[in-house]
Amino acid sequence: MSTQYSILFKQEHAHDDAIWTAAWGKSEADGTETIVTGSLDDMVKVWKWSDEKLELQWTLEGHQLGVVSVDISHNGAIAASSSLDAHIRLWDLESGKQIKSMDAGPVDAWTVAFSPDSKYIATGSHLGKVNIFGVESGKKEYSLDTRGKFILSIAYSPDGKYLASGAIDGIINIFDIATGKLLHTLEGHAMPIRSLTFSPDSQLLVTASDDGYIKIYDVQHANLAGTLSGHGSWVLNVAFSPDDTHFVSSSSDKSVKVWDASSRACVNTFFDHQDQVWSVKYNNTGSKIISAGDDRAIHIYDCPM
Amino acid sequence: MASFGWKRKAGEKVSKSIVRQFEAEAGKAGDDDDDDDEACANDEVDWLHAIKRRREVLLEDCSAKSKRLKDEGALLAEQGRHWEAIKKWDEAIQLTPDNPLLYEMKSQVLTILQEVFPAVKAAEMAVKLRPLWWEGWQTLGRGQLNLGEVDLAVRSFQVAVHLCPSERSLWQDDLAWAWRLQQQQCAVQEKKREEEETKQNLLSAPELEQDYDFESDEVLAACMAVAERQTRYEELKRTAVVIDTEGNIKNVQIEEEGSADVASPSHAEFVKARGL
Repeated sequence: MSTQYSILFKQEHAHDDAIWTAAWGKSEADGTETIVTGSLDDMVKVWKWSDEKLELQWTLEGHQLGVVSVDISHNGAIAASSSLDAHIRLWDLESGKQIKSMDAGPVDAWTVAFSPDSKYIATGSHLGKVNIFGVESGKKEYSLDTRGKFILSIAYSPDGKYLASGAIDGIINIFDIATGKLLHTLEGHAMPIRSLTFSPDSQLLVTASDDGYIKIYDVQHANLAGTLSGHGSWVLNVAFSPDDTHFVSSSSDKSVKVWDASSRACVNTFFDHQDQVWSVKYNNTGSKIISAGDDRAIHIYDCPM
Repeated sequence: MASFGWKRKAGEKVSKSIVRQFEAEAGKAGDDDDDDDEACANDEVDWLHAIKRRREVLLEDCSAKSKRLKDEGALLAEQGRHWEAIKKWDEAIQLTPDNPLLYEMKSQVLTILQEVFPAVKAAEMAVKLRPLWWEGWQTLGRGQLNLGEVDLAVRSFQVAVHLCPSERSLWQDDLAWAWRLQQQQCAVQEKKREEEETKQNLLSAPELEQDYDFESDEVLAACMAVAERQTRYEELKRTAVVIDTEGNIKNVQIEEEGSADVASPSHAEFVKARGL
């Protein structure tokens, strides 16, 4: 347990081109920690995090035109990835084999997100529809319509009640999953929302936008609870710590910032990347942060607990 | 001559009292120097700030003039007077070298003029100055496509789409088109590679490396294998990758005269293989 923020590990040249997305999961079966990264070079790479080192486990081929988004199921067994050619692929992390490939239709797969029970995958589409795919069936099960613009970001609330989507025109929609009804539409930002995340208690929603601001919403009442500034350029990704106390953001200003969720102050800034930082995630305990970006490097940071 | 030092340090960082003190000393020290005398004589003129002010005015002029030149260039380009437009923009670039818009516009017009390499260079500059600007990447991709660099073009379009996925024309016109070209190129290269490989296999067939008992069936089997390789090679030779008008990739048999040509020498090689 460290007492201050520090960089723990750097994996340079993790991919042959810019890394656009990363995810951190933990296997329920054997407790191993797995990191999945997706890149402009069409590869999905699976890394094992052990002994404070990254070890390449699988290089998964099959995507074309760049991997936009990856996610790991909550039991740590399956990874989902989506690419610009609108295919969603499911991978078995144990064997490194492809389980399924789903064609989402032209321009119809952006961010992928597993539902809390890991039975479904949600992805946004260009017509403002959130498509829900069944992991088991490999088919589109149903869709939620925001009647809005291209959906860049998707998040399930950890309690499984809500699904939030962020669109390219800055509109945030919150759905009730049980009824499929659109609960709230928030005009949060005037620019694309590239990432949003719920707090572990599902009370707060944090959004990141190209306008350089991070906004915090109270989910139940759809109130704006705070606007945070600090990044000098687009905010590309946000992730909440599992212990509910902090969240982390990454930006095209090459920085990674850690924020205190209660005081809403930036508690630490990492300036270790050479280029835009597209993705940032916590591990399952909140003791580590991973970031990856255009400089093709994966960084792991230590967080005080 | 130490007295010249402070003059070059334009700016407010130099404290006034020190300057005055220094000036007085310099005046004493450099009595015989004419320049110094002048500087001291015009003590009322605030040299430090005068220089500073002039610079500010100049800086503003630069950007205003650059903007005027940019607009003029755009007007000329609209009228089809492309070279004149580029001249204007080059002038503007001289004044404001870090304006990505100028490079991007220049790149577009250079593309129209079929100056493919300078067009790519200009677009690269635009992208370097503003990496989050998808239109810069789009222009760069189009330039690269004109240069025949399909792979690079696809990458540039990918980056552009990633920055602004809602732009339909980017998907449909640019990325889809470049991607199809890339696949077509891939098909041709794959065919070439396959042909080369079979040829290599034929020339250094593993069957030829080993000694045979000429009485046995092994020889026959080896000959058969070599013959098979040969037919495969000829078959490959006879087909060609053809991309039809709809852009579909096909392997097509070349017409008679081609196959007759390759058929005749094949006999000779056949005999040679047996002779070994």
